[in-house]
Amino acid sequence: MDLYEGLGFFLLLAALLLPAVVLGLCGVRLKWYGLAVTVAILLVTFRGWQAKACLAAFYILELVCVEVYAQVRARCDKRPVLWLFLLVALAPLCMVKLGTVTDAFDFFRLVGVSYMTFRSVQVLIEIYDGLIKDVGIADFSYFLLFFPSVSSGPIDRYRRFLKDIEAKPTRGEYAELVRRGIWKLVTGAAMNFGIGNFLYAHWLAPLPESGFLASVSYMYGYAFFLFFNFAGYSLMAVGTAYILGVKMPDNFNMPFISVDMKNFWSRWHISLSTWLRDFVYTRFCTAALRGKWFRDRRTASYIGYVITMLTMGVWHGLTPAYILYGAYHGVLMCLNEIADLRWKRFKQIKRSGVGQVIMVIITFHLFSFGLLIFSGRII
Amino acid sequence: MKEKIMAILEDVCGADEGELSPDTRLFEDGILDSFGVISLFVEIETQLGIKLEPTELDRDQLATPALIIAEVEKRA
Repeated sequence: MDLYEGLGFFLLLAALLLPAVVLGLCGVRLKWYGLAVTVAILLVTFRGWQAKACLAAFYILELVCVEVYAQVRARCDKRPVLWLFLLVALAPLCMVKLGTVTDAFDFFRLVGVSYMTFRSVQVLIEIYDGLIKDVGIADFSYFLLFFPSVSSGPIDRYRRFLKDIEAKPTRGEYAELVRRGIWKLVTGAAMNFGIGNFLYAHWLAPLPESGFLASVSYMYGYAFFLFFNFAGYSLMAVGTAYILGVKMPDNFNMPFISVDMKNFWSRWHISLSTWLRDFVYTRFCTAALRGKWFRDRRTASYIGYVITMLTMGVWHGLTPAYILYGAYHGVLMCLNEIADLRWKRFKQIKRSGVGQVIMVIITFHLFSFGLLIFSGRII
Repeated sequence: MKEKIMAILEDVCGADEGELSPDTRLFEDGILDSFGVISLFVEIETQLGIKLEPTELDRDQLATPALIIAEVEKRA
């Protein structure tokens, strides 16, 4: 059984969510029940002893890493110590990514390692920042393993997540959460299984594997397919989280009406782009500004964008297509920023009628081409 | 403190003196971007000695100059 696939999974999900709804409406906090459901679903969906062993090893390593660092940070605020713990937390992810290009690491395979690692890394960094002091074992375990978003996001934030699982909503508030959760689940399923699968079967699958026109058609088809597939999956995850009392942030917000690439990244895979903004781009730029690394301050931003987007590419995988995808977006973000700063009319154009429509069309083609690179079809 | 923060904001936003009002919607109006927030935090730290961590405040808490001033004053 796979997460969010097949009738069996959805029947199991319904059977496990029904008691949650009853408990929630009776005013019971859903943290412990949600944790039990998470463990049960992971045991069922991580099939075979090897998958379970990899998940267990990963979980223990990340838990120990975070708990020990919380203790260490109370006495030592040296940045190299944080780097050491980050390296340990990132090791399983690196092994999985290396395993895709070399046989030496092929023994360690773990679904969702990318998303789960982002969760522990942000906890480590926020412990360093002094924003997280204590990390409860159950709280962190629930956050790290939270099953709705374990394999494909969205990437929630620990302090936000904690607020939700500790909250005790009134009956009316929880009923509203359930109503919205069911709506998101149903909409997400329609987008993913209905529209996404239809686009794949009737647009992408029949296309020849090569040829210029086929690739152009694939570019448009893949952009729409990926949106409905991924946004649909994210909505199902968010909907499930709502029913468990967790107001997980939405991951997509009408990306096809983006007026430029910066706007696109605030609408597409939002939890990934904001994560990268907060934990890669902002960190690099802050260090650069504090240390006065560049004569022109904006240079920090341009280099920051390239580093951030390359990180995103590598995070997806170590293939040339993913790395090129990251570099492509890094360059686009820099060009976007240059246009914003140097071309005074650009902001005006993006706001007005015809200019706005033209920018929406240009942006759509820019990100669709990016997704064509991402798909691996042209490289 | 208020004047100082407004001056820093005007500087990082590239706005003229008096151009920003306390209730200007900084993100919605495209005045402040991610790099602007970083510059703002670094300048507040340098000029006022108040350190704000990158994820300490979300965009709702930084939406207008008045909100930013209130958050900084809380930490003064």
